[in-house]
Amino acid sequence: MYRFLAILTFYRSFVVWSFIVNAIIGFFNPVIVPALVTKLFLTVFAWYYVSETRNQRKLTFYKNLGISSLELFSVVYVIDCILTIIFITIFKEFT
Amino acid sequence: MIFELDNVELYFKTKRILNGIYLKAETGKVTAILGSNGCGKCCLLNIAFGNLKPKYMLVRLDGKPLLKPLYTTGIVMYLPQYNFIPNDIKLSFVFKLYAINWNLFTKGFETFSIYKNSKFSDLSGGERRIVETYIILKTKSKIVFLDEPFSHLSPQHIDTIKQLIEEEKKEKVIIISDHMYQHIIESSDTIYLLKNGTT
Repeated sequence: MYRFLAILTFYRSFVVWSFIVNAIIGFFNPVIVPALVTKLFLTVFAWYYVSETRNQRKLTFYKNLGISSLELFSVVYVIDCILTIIFITIFKEFT
Repeated sequence: MIFELDNVELYFKTKRILNGIYLKAETGKVTAILGSNGCGKCCLLNIAFGNLKPKYMLVRLDGKPLLKPLYTTGIVMYLPQYNFIPNDIKLSFVFKLYAINWNLFTKGFETFSIYKNSKFSDLSGGERRIVETYIILKTKSKIVFLDEPFSHLSPQHIDTIKQLIEEEKKEKVIIISDHMYQHIIESSDTIYLLKNGTT
């Protein structure tokens, strides 16, 4: 449970960006599958960015909890997908 | 438990940083790594933890080779030179995540009792170092890597941390590296000297 809470803490720093991307997707092409593919691409980019820059220091906190980068970004992607699906479904209802 | 790090060879592009390293540490003993600036002490701890991938290396736990990064086993804690706790997290939450009793901590460090609901960024550099070192030492684990645990600490707190190391070494493999040679010599049982990229 605490491991999941730790991952949520990590996701918190990306949540605003995620909603901005959701809003852009919602306005231009509110279809779930392309949205999830876009999010997958962005998650892989975020993983690369964090791993290849000084930001990789942030990962030590999670590694000390036994959470690998793969596990961390996979769970972040799943959480983000759930929020994206909810966002787009609600968005479609009102447009 | 016996921890062994063997045959480490690290290159940065074509420059050889570490070569033919062997390190052995066991429960009940503090193992220290000494060496000049830039000799590769920090890299060695990063390699052992699994943060840095060298060209060659072998980790053995109780004589059995480990083929995945050590941190994925969940039995190791690593205190890096930099602050590893995110700035925007509350101390009480960090203690919960690492399953450490806040009240026991404030018994030893009374001045921290006001910080329970403060964010990590509210602490001074020295205070952050104390919290991080305490968390790393007190979290349930079998192996602990400490990279410069005495940096930024007052003499009084250095003594407290040395006492903590002495207590925790009974149940843990502790590997320590610092520039403060005097403190390292006092707190360690085995010392490795890192020179010209080898031990």
